[in-house]
Amino acid sequence: MTDTSDIETADRLSRKRARMIPVLAIIFLAGQAAYFSQDRAERLVDHVKIGAWLVWVLVLLALLETGGAFIQSKRVRALINDESTRANCQRAYVIGFWSAMGTGIGLYVVAMFEQVTAREAIHLIVTAAIAGALLMFGMLERRAHRDG
Amino acid sequence: MADALRNRLRELRGDRDLTQAALAELVGVSRKTINTVENGVFVPSTTLALKLARALGRPVEEIFFLDN
Repeated sequence: MTDTSDIETADRLSRKRARMIPVLAIIFLAGQAAYFSQDRAERLVDHVKIGAWLVWVLVLLALLETGGAFIQSKRVRALINDESTRANCQRAYVIGFWSAMGTGIGLYVVAMFEQVTAREAIHLIVTAAIAGALLMFGMLERRAHRDG
Repeated sequence: MADALRNRLRELRGDRDLTQAALAELVGVSRKTINTVENGVFVPSTTLALKLARALGRPVEEIFFLDN
């Protein structure tokens, strides 16, 4: 049996995560728009930007895979990431996969007319996959909390 | 076409005067999961269906049934 306070804590944190994740996805996407709108060169600042993107990617992947709430007890984390959340996460991964496929196919077509570097292609495909998965996960979680 | 799984969870929970949070506590899942099962948004695993049946003191087929 689980403490009622654990249920309430998990409910509150899960709602907060459902609100936060789409915001994170939009901030992440907006950051990429800034990245591609500027002329890229091999300056130190460009390497810092690429490094920052990589950190973003790793943090967001960790958030998707673990569900976050790292400082909570094991029981609260288990409640936050129970089977309905894991099902939503699986559906979000599917959307992430198709976002990556769509972006990859689009880049393949664009590469017929314009030079696309491997780094740009990887950047766009990974960004699309993560943003797609995050937005879908956030949407599913928000819907799950609705009418409750 | 796959048959839709329906349930009487809300009704049976109400019969026992349990809130979603109280039932969630009994079976060890989040309140959100109970809510999504009741709304037909989420199809629970066999394990969770059996836990719900045990918590409500009803056979699982009385709680969950196919649409047709």
